[in-house]
Amino acid sequence: MIEKKLDFFGKRKIFFGISIAIIVIGIIFNCIFGINLDIQFSGGSMISYTYNGDVNESELKSLVQEITPDNQVSFTISKNLAGNNDKGEGHYFTIQFPGTSAISAEVQSTISQELESKYPDNNFEVSEFTSVDPTMGTKFFVKCLVAVAIACVLMVIYVTFRFKKIGGMSAGVMGLVALLHDMVIVYFVFVIFRMDIDSNFIAVILMILGYSLNDTIVIYDRIRENKAKMGPRADLVDVYNLSMTQCIRRTIFTSITTLAAITSVYVVCFIYNITSIQSFALPMMFGVVSGCYSSICIATPLWVIWQLKKKNKASEKK
Amino acid sequence: MKRVAKPVFFIIAALIIALAVTSIFGVTTQKGDITTTRIKGISDIRWGIDIKGGVEATFQPAEGVDATPEQLESAKSVIETRMVSSNITDYELYADESSNRIIVRFPWKEETTNYDPYEAIEEISATATLTFRPGNEYESVDYTDDGTPVMKTPTGATAETVLLDGSMIESAQAGVINEDGSTQYVVSLKFNSEGAEKFKEATTTYLNQTISIWMDDVMLSYPTVNSVISDGSAQITGNFTAEEATALAAKINAGALPFSLETVNAGSISPTLGANSLYAMGIAAVVALIFIALFMIIVYRMPGFIAVIALLGQLAITIVAVSGYFPVFNSFTMTLPGIAGMILSIGMGVDANIITAERIKEELRKGKSVDSSINAGTKNSLSAIIDGNMTVVIVAVILILVFGPFNMLSFIFGLSTTGSIYAFGYTLLVGVISNFIMGIGAARLMLKSISGFKIFRNPKLYGGAKS
Repeated sequence: MIEKKLDFFGKRKIFFGISIAIIVIGIIFNCIFGINLDIQFSGGSMISYTYNGDVNESELKSLVQEITPDNQVSFTISKNLAGNNDKGEGHYFTIQFPGTSAISAEVQSTISQELESKYPDNNFEVSEFTSVDPTMGTKFFVKCLVAVAIACVLMVIYVTFRFKKIGGMSAGVMGLVALLHDMVIVYFVFVIFRMDIDSNFIAVILMILGYSLNDTIVIYDRIRENKAKMGPRADLVDVYNLSMTQCIRRTIFTSITTLAAITSVYVVCFIYNITSIQSFALPMMFGVVSGCYSSICIATPLWVIWQLKKKNKASEKK
Repeated sequence: MKRVAKPVFFIIAALIIALAVTSIFGVTTQKGDITTTRIKGISDIRWGIDIKGGVEATFQPAEGVDATPEQLESAKSVIETRMVSSNITDYELYADESSNRIIVRFPWKEETTNYDPYEAIEEISATATLTFRPGNEYESVDYTDDGTPVMKTPTGATAETVLLDGSMIESAQAGVINEDGSTQYVVSLKFNSEGAEKFKEATTTYLNQTISIWMDDVMLSYPTVNSVISDGSAQITGNFTAEEATALAAKINAGALPFSLETVNAGSISPTLGANSLYAMGIAAVVALIFIALFMIIVYRMPGFIAVIALLGQLAITIVAVSGYFPVFNSFTMTLPGIAGMILSIGMGVDANIITAERIKEELRKGKSVDSSINAGTKNSLSAIIDGNMTVVIVAVILILVFGPFNMLSFIFGLSTTGSIYAFGYTLLVGVISNFIMGIGAARLMLKSISGFKIFRNPKLYGGAKS
């Protein structure tokens, strides 16, 4: 059998280098931009209005600012690229009241009334509204983090158990390193695109945990199989490179189909300005790429290094 | 290899297509003017408030009052009564005793024109007014989905006079009495001193007549006064079931709750925004499906073509699991993240087919025949597929448990405040399970069956070299 074998292990330093570089860049961005918790976690309120036609944006902002002088309000104005359907919803005007507890009913209705009276032709209408109590938000956040931790632990246990034959513990731990890598990447996507950490973040993190480990496991599975075939005397790096070569097409192709699915969601949501799904789809796109990369370039080469060290130690003792 | 009979491919493909068509479009029969749904399609799915538009709110007793479970249940029954009386049947309502909170989600009423979230929340959480009135005259009657009549708006003498109100009630309790050897469920009322006095007057004036009990605008009960009651404790009898008696007691208690409800969290989405989102997600699903189908057929040819049929089956099963398929099963509440999960599992769903197809290709390159390649390829790839999918199962289960309405962490953290991600976990889990059925089960049978045809045995069709 003639099979082309690619030298994945030999390029490990390049792979690690790329990851470290990305992480460093991410940390720099994190220091510059910082990160905000969404009102889902931090507490606060958000009202979003739809309107059509053109409105002077700064005038609009100062109008709302005057009604709520005490609050640190922030504004976003976005456009529905899909254009106007029956009601002609061209623009979205979003007001956020972070950190404070829920804004009062009076403030909310005053804003609505003012907008209606000042811009009678623009059809201002409440399209979305959220208000969260800060203590409940914090609880929810902690709960989400606990869920992520539980997921990580379960994953490592599963891998350790299923891959006993190829040093289960090391396989599990290195899988976890790759998972942490992916989680960090997803986090940086939130930082770089200036998105607030919300429950979508947790959903993406959990999803990527499953996805990335799935990739890693398929490779481990191949290593397990090849090891059994080639016998205990076979060179580990050889086994690894062969397994990788056999898996690489599958890993990349599955990522392509998954990426295609999630990208079509993102593009459509971007056009229609569905923000709640955009902040889910965009980090997921990066997560899928990172999950694929970390399985090939982080988890499994690290596992090989671990195994080699173990072997060296064993032979030294002799 | 053990060959699968040739017709199997066509039988499975036909079944999948039938399932896909019925699950998407549904089946209805028409008899005269009455249309009966036999099989539920996509249009019968119950959409979450992020799609349909609606209001979500979490309440707790104001000023930090710690409500007893019974009180919380009463407060919940107030909201329930108001939902029913405004003809909203599609609501979700939970009372969480551990965190002392009530969570409600409901769609906008159809006639709503002003989507003011505060107004809507105010309307359902306002303190209930409970009144006792003479007679039982009412203006209109509505019927709920299960046919229970709801009498609304007092008129005539019933509207004019209020005999007692909720503040005069000490407690209401469901109980059982034995009369002439038969068991009867009753609701026992206890009045405070003012209430006892008023009730004595009322029962004297309206002896052998009807007194009706109202919550806001809805008549709860209209017992007949059998005797003058002066000791401040009465019993309402009737043909109650245990549940009816408990529900009535809870509603009467609501009139005397020692606290008002305060809104902790709230959210709303307008129906137009939601409808737009659903349309957009539909487009995304179709685009994703077409791309993946083309990709699979171009890259993997025959196994790719079969993967596409299997993928259609996987999608159909997911829709079935959401809609309930048959009218007797309730539809799952589908949200935007739920649809995103569905589309994502289309992308991940072909993974099993990709792994298998790659394996078959590999075997072919070793010089094996089509038959033995398919055999070896499907056998060798099974462990990878199962191990890989398990991680997604773990994730999906955690998502369901953490974001579901009742969940494993609720004893520490209380109920979830957002329900939409729950649906993401659900569709993901259903996606993986249907992937096992379709991507592994059905696809393999089809592959082994179709390779029995001579014209489909060219290794080229499976990614091998020319024969």
